[in-house]
Amino acid sequence: MRPGDFARGAVMRLRRVTGDRRHRRRLAELGFVPGASLSVLGRGMHGGLVLALGDGRVAVDALTAATLVVEPADE
Amino acid sequence: MSERPITKGPVAKGPVAKGPVAKALLTKPCCDDDVPGGVNAGDPRVALVGNPNVGKSTLFNMLTGARQRIGNWPGKTVSVAQGTWRSPNGEITLIDLPGTYSLVPGSPDEALTRDLLVDRGMGGRPDLVVITVDAANLARNLYLLAQVMETGVPLVVALTMVDIAESRGIRVDAGRLSELIGAPVVPLVPRRGEGVAEFDRVVARALAAPRRPALPVLGEDMEAALASITAEVPAETAVRYPARWLSIALLTGEDVPGVPEETAAAARAAGAALSGGEPAGDDEPDDPELLVAEQRYAWVHEVIAEVVTRRGAGRATWSDRVDRVLTSRWSGPPIFLAVMWAVFALTTKAAAPLMAGFQGLVDGPVSTGAGRLLDALGAGGAIRGLVLNGLIAGVGQVLSFVPLMAIMFVLLSVLEDSGYLARAAFVVDRLMRVIGLPGRAFLPLIVGFGCNVPALAGTRILSDRRHRLLTGLLIPFVTCSARLTVYVLVATAFFGSAAGTVVFAMYVLSIALVIGMGLLLRGTLFRGMAEEPLVLDLPPYRLPAVRVIGAQSWVKLQAFLKTASGIIVATVTLVWLLSSIPFGGQGSFGRTPIEHSVFGAASHAVAPAFAPSGFGDWHASAALITGFVAKEAVVSTMAQTYSMGEPADGHQPGGLGGALRATIEQTSHGHPVPAVLAFLVFLLAYTPCMTTVAAQRVEIGGRLTLFGIGMQLTLAWLLAVAVFRVGSLFL
Repeated sequence: MRPGDFARGAVMRLRRVTGDRRHRRRLAELGFVPGASLSVLGRGMHGGLVLALGDGRVAVDALTAATLVVEPADE
Repeated sequence: MSERPITKGPVAKGPVAKGPVAKALLTKPCCDDDVPGGVNAGDPRVALVGNPNVGKSTLFNMLTGARQRIGNWPGKTVSVAQGTWRSPNGEITLIDLPGTYSLVPGSPDEALTRDLLVDRGMGGRPDLVVITVDAANLARNLYLLAQVMETGVPLVVALTMVDIAESRGIRVDAGRLSELIGAPVVPLVPRRGEGVAEFDRVVARALAAPRRPALPVLGEDMEAALASITAEVPAETAVRYPARWLSIALLTGEDVPGVPEETAAAARAAGAALSGGEPAGDDEPDDPELLVAEQRYAWVHEVIAEVVTRRGAGRATWSDRVDRVLTSRWSGPPIFLAVMWAVFALTTKAAAPLMAGFQGLVDGPVSTGAGRLLDALGAGGAIRGLVLNGLIAGVGQVLSFVPLMAIMFVLLSVLEDSGYLARAAFVVDRLMRVIGLPGRAFLPLIVGFGCNVPALAGTRILSDRRHRLLTGLLIPFVTCSARLTVYVLVATAFFGSAAGTVVFAMYVLSIALVIGMGLLLRGTLFRGMAEEPLVLDLPPYRLPAVRVIGAQSWVKLQAFLKTASGIIVATVTLVWLLSSIPFGGQGSFGRTPIEHSVFGAASHAVAPAFAPSGFGDWHASAALITGFVAKEAVVSTMAQTYSMGEPADGHQPGGLGGALRATIEQTSHGHPVPAVLAFLVFLLAYTPCMTTVAAQRVEIGGRLTLFGIGMQLTLAWLLAVAVFRVGSLFL
């Protein structure tokens, strides 16, 4: 599943990040590591999302959001 | 200045790891990694390191005040601010390194920070690092802290945003954090100056007795691999680089000078063994770099579990509620456009009376006073002309831009400090991607419609240097309000009631030029510019602090005046000088008609170059030459060359429009409409003014500025010729 599949406020857990090495490294540095807690706070234009990542807030475009493989936090 | 403790627990005094958890989280500092025995010769050097938007530059500005300079780091293209901090314990050289999320370099900015901390062979290494850590977003900040700890450099943590963390129910135990990382931690609020006295004392102590921080533990298997790599590294390489950083760099496959290939290969093999496993789906395999990042975050979360207490966790903050409106797909774009309109209106409308006031002051009392003084001193016509029409007129032009620039710098700081700029970048990101620029580039481009000069200053909001350069090259194609006065005068003279449509077409063409040249430059000079996916950290909304905004704006304004004023005064003086020197034996210095001056002769000489575009006449070329200095001067030069009064406003061009029309009729051989359109297109596309050139030099450097001037002139000429030639077939 991808974050866009979840309702606003639903808590999810990151399973992995897809894409090339540079992209995955950049995201890992920002805290997108397996097990990280995520939730969707808002939806922007063209599929962009505002995400809560731990205590931080991160905006991602649709392409980046599609590289985040997530699952519901209670699974 | 308040010095009350902001988070619970005392300010930590030293790097003592205590208790069973500390034992599990930390390894003892390694014995072969020497600690700097003392400070550099001269003032001690302290580097500020931290994530973007965590108060690092606010702290820098507060500590150094106006005693700072911004310039490229020696041998690098990275701009770094350095300043003198007059601490109660003596003067300290403070270096504000570019904000970064990681010490694994992904840009020249990050590479400089990394090299400065790890390469002992590099000049200018700091004696101490102050790392700003955002208490409201601890995880991401502790990740960078972990990497700085790995370099072994003595450090002090400035725990910022504690007020915001408190408002979100997050309390950070600074004392416990200090114990765990083996370095002092000082909570402070730089915007309000809270905690600064304690910060002074802690930094002085850390400089007097430098100590290495502890090392984050990266898991049993990785620690074993790192230990074996450390044992294999040649002694001379271990002297140049910190042992821990070096072993991690080799494990992740980084090339480090001075390391034998067999050692590097063994380290890579150890890294591959650690990350061994099949990749998921079509992705590239996991690599040791990712594994190290995950292990660092595992350490970070263990630290957080020890130092953070929460109440009301999980509830939406007021910042989140504001974001629902400002970043929404429905309300976000109209709010963004309203904010951009407000910036545009303030930089043009609000600045106009102030600009006129400054200009009036220089043209009136200053010029009159200087004239009387020169008379009293018995100065002759030449000296009088040089001072009044050259130097003072040039200074007047510089001063007239001061209100505009000050307003622009204040607005930029307000937008950035409030947190809105990051949201605006998200809202408009997709649109700007068309020309390969991030969403933030929209702001300087839109401001350019008012004036290109503050727009160029606005490119500083772009963190990537190549984005700044590309935007800086495109801004002159945004048609500014000074060009509008010429469009109106010329279009009214030639097109009467259809003038409005022609002026509108110039704005459309301006946008087309920005997009077209953006695509062209992106496909040529900026071909290698990677299109970054948007991953944007959103700082919490805050009320901008007046003193922070004031300090930031003042420093930027000073830098602009220092660099730009010389070019502007010199150019204005040169044009006056050339207009005063007689050419061909008519008149004397300062008493010659403009047509018979060196300037007039130069205009005659340049005129044939415009013959293919239908306006090869010296009146037009003289106006375009002074337009290079300032577009405001185009109309007055036309009036001067036709020996007519300047029209009261552009809508009533009177005889000047008629004279221009007669000239163009003649030079275009019966095709005045395409010729005047070609003139307008040239006016749109060539160099906006000398102040823009000066501002470009500040923002994108001398070489690219020259390239930009050449590009604009070439494009302007080609477009003008094309418009006239094609237009002549139909009109």
